[in-house]
Amino acid sequence: MPPFRSLSARLTVQFALLFAAAMLAVSAALSTFIAGSASREVEGQLQSSGAVYDRLWQQRAHELQSAAQLLARDFGFRAAVASGDQATMQSALGNAAARLRVRSAFIVSADGRISAIDNSVAHGEAQALWQPLDDGRLTGVSELGGRPRQLVAAPIMAPTLLGWVVFAADLDKREMRGLERLSAIPLHAAVMVNENGKWTESGGSMAALDANTARLVAAHVGETAAFEMTLGGGKSIALAKPLQTFSDRERAILLLAYPKAEAMSDARKLQLALGLMTLLGLLVVAVATWKAARRITQPLERLDEAAGRLASGEHVQVGVRGSDELARLANSFNEMVGKIAEREQRITQLAFNDVLTGLPNRTMFQQQLEHLFRATAGNGNLFALHCLDLDQFKVINDTLGHPAGDALLVEAGRRVQQAARGHFVARLGGDEFVVLQNVGQDRDAIDRLAREILVGMAQPLSIDGNEFVPSTSIGIAIAPEDGAESGTLLRNADLALYRAKEAGRGTFAFFEESLNEQAQHRRQLESDLRLAIERGEFELHYQPLFDLEQNCICSFEALLRWRHPARGLVSPAEFVPVAEDTGLIVPIGAWVIREACARAARWPGNIRVAVNVSAVQFHRGSLHETILRALADSGLAPNRLEVEITESIFLEGGDITLRLLHALRALGVRIALDDFGTGYSSLSYLQSFPFDKLKIDRSFIQNLLTRDGATAIVHAITELANALGIETTAEGVEETAQLMELRAHGCSSVQGYLFSEPMSSADVERLFKERGGVLQNVA
Amino acid sequence: MALAGAASPLSATSLSVRVVDVTGRPVRDAVVTLYPSGDAARPAHPNGRYVVSQQNLQFHPFLAVVPVGADVSFPNLDPTKHHVYSFSPAKKFELKLFAKDQSRTVHFDKAGVVALGCNIHDQMSAFIVVTDSFWTARTNGQGVASFSDAPNVPARLTVWHPYLRAPGGQIQQAIAASQRNLHLQVRLRAPPAMSMTDY
Repeated sequence: MPPFRSLSARLTVQFALLFAAAMLAVSAALSTFIAGSASREVEGQLQSSGAVYDRLWQQRAHELQSAAQLLARDFGFRAAVASGDQATMQSALGNAAARLRVRSAFIVSADGRISAIDNSVAHGEAQALWQPLDDGRLTGVSELGGRPRQLVAAPIMAPTLLGWVVFAADLDKREMRGLERLSAIPLHAAVMVNENGKWTESGGSMAALDANTARLVAAHVGETAAFEMTLGGGKSIALAKPLQTFSDRERAILLLAYPKAEAMSDARKLQLALGLMTLLGLLVVAVATWKAARRITQPLERLDEAAGRLASGEHVQVGVRGSDELARLANSFNEMVGKIAEREQRITQLAFNDVLTGLPNRTMFQQQLEHLFRATAGNGNLFALHCLDLDQFKVINDTLGHPAGDALLVEAGRRVQQAARGHFVARLGGDEFVVLQNVGQDRDAIDRLAREILVGMAQPLSIDGNEFVPSTSIGIAIAPEDGAESGTLLRNADLALYRAKEAGRGTFAFFEESLNEQAQHRRQLESDLRLAIERGEFELHYQPLFDLEQNCICSFEALLRWRHPARGLVSPAEFVPVAEDTGLIVPIGAWVIREACARAARWPGNIRVAVNVSAVQFHRGSLHETILRALADSGLAPNRLEVEITESIFLEGGDITLRLLHALRALGVRIALDDFGTGYSSLSYLQSFPFDKLKIDRSFIQNLLTRDGATAIVHAITELANALGIETTAEGVEETAQLMELRAHGCSSVQGYLFSEPMSSADVERLFKERGGVLQNVA
Repeated sequence: MALAGAASPLSATSLSVRVVDVTGRPVRDAVVTLYPSGDAARPAHPNGRYVVSQQNLQFHPFLAVVPVGADVSFPNLDPTKHHVYSFSPAKKFELKLFAKDQSRTVHFDKAGVVALGCNIHDQMSAFIVVTDSFWTARTNGQGVASFSDAPNVPARLTVWHPYLRAPGGQIQQAIAASQRNLHLQVRLRAPPAMSMTDY
């Protein structure tokens, strides 16, 4: 079976073939049956016709014989024969022959003489009859004068045998036709005579027989069954009956033939009708199968086409008809398409939207940005990129937990969206939001939108019962002038945001080219810092702390200095924020602790060293281990190490911070709170942790003699510290009057240029050598 | 049945002819005639009365052998009419014997076989052999015909029988002088059936 490109063609052909085979088998069987029954019918008709012929034959013979006998007994005739009276004899014979409608008649005398009425029978042929006549043969078929004839004889007795009267009836066409007409069916009859191996035919309605046909006929002689033969160019059903011959040398056959075309014509019509019905049936079956196949394959084709369109990304639905398997398949397909669409939407959402706020994400923002660049390219229109950063997000997240932080983000997103209606809003991650504003030429619109966002954001908000007012900083870059491609524009907006934050939160700033320069400077600094650690460009300077009660140096504060190979000494105020932002403060801070401990270990045993620890170090670095290692390596007594922290460490961590502080305290390390009085200065810290020292910020000391408030604050701090049993150190003491005042207030120790600038470690060690280890007040 | 008892001037001995059919059965009533050659030939002469009567619708006798010149009377002893006829070349005649005891005489002056029939009764048949030789005999029940004084010369022998299958119903054979015992086999046809209604 060849491969089919379509299912319907295959079904049609297969079923049609199957049905065709069945129908052909049935019609072939029927056709055979029809032909067989027709053959039997024809055979029966032939046989009954044969029987009729027999009877007719006998009647004819009997008629002739009676006439011959009548003549043979006539006395006058006998007298004429006996006396050889030819004239009388022949006239009597001729008279009888005419009555019988027989053309040939003759007398064979007992001694073999012949007397005939016509010349159609040769003398010799007639003489040859003497022997069978003498043998007593009185009737039979014989070929005389080249024609088969029916011979009937009667002996002429006077009273001895004188001879025989012989009538020879022609078995010619006329005779055969006469027989044929008597049959109920359109038969063709013929008498065949064989003498000396040569067949002669009666000249009936059949054409001359050829030798093969004659042999075939001869082979079937006497059979009761009919046989088939070719006659006159067509097939015939034939029956061959043997006829008695006059002479033993001859054989005669009555051949009855029924042309098959005529015999089978009814059967043929039936077969034709059957054939037509079969063809019609086949046609109907083919059409029906094709239609049935179409009913199956059309929905499949629709599904196939729909599946193809689905594959190419189209969301198609196929029509559903009925409730069969195909309809269910179509329904399933439709459901599948729907689910695929849902999933695609979900994937798209995941790919392009932020899960938390539902706002577009960074990817979609990037696309939108690129789109805007293309849309405004060359037409002179402007668009603005607003970069937003929530000011309090980190605090909220750390103090109230992530769910609160998430709630803040969701609300912030909603508010930005509300304020920037009609503009593209996205969340890039963390607390970063962006707004893309298409402004055309109206630059003022940028300011207006930024303000609206700020105002919209600054509405009171309650999260977990904590009420506060969120605020945001906005950095704005304008395309294309602040950046002709998305990377630059975004970076510049970020720089502007950075500046806005620096400028005090809750405001917005535009990008300026200087911001870019600052950023480059900062990046340079950052890479230099990394190299500085490796190259050992850092060094520690020490500033002494003078104990007012004992009037001697009691401690040194280690101060970090960076000796840049190109720029010389770099201020900590410049590089420490960068180190903190990048996390480089952790290795730098660790180095500071190790170096300070190692130096201090060589100092007299009553001299302490103070080290500043940043919040970043406190939370990210493994500070506890670093300090333990530094103490162990240097052999410095823990109580000679003083860790100075600022309040900022409490902004992160909470309990963890306190645990770390307690752990350090447990080692014996002293903890000092630096820059006290600025920032939050929350008294709750003092209650939650027993600091060893408070360092009063230099701003109070500088104003000590000029502002009344400052004096009162310093007095209050010292009073408070004394009450809590905490030491106090005043920073930035530069004048003797300040010292006097501080001493009056009961401050524990002082630090400042009044006593000493920060000095190198070599200077410190020289100081110990020159002064014998105990530093007295120089003032 | 010897016709003559006259002595032959030449030497003569007895001659016997036995006639059988194809199955070897003796043939009765065959007429055997011997024609010695040359001077030995001797005609037969009429001697006495010859009668062929019609009685019970039959000729009696069925076979009569008469010499040439014999007169044969045909008395009708039946109460029915008879129409006796012969179409034989030896003697053609018709006798209408319409009354009982009516008799006619026919003179046979030519040798040959005369077949008798009755035109009224087809089944009636009889034969008269008119012979012109002294030595004429008919076979007995053993099929044997004997001549006590057949001349010892070459001769011609004829055998005739009403149903013998041969032209003229007769065969003939030359015999040598020394042949005294002959054995002849002949073919006979069945006697004609009396009923002629069948073919």
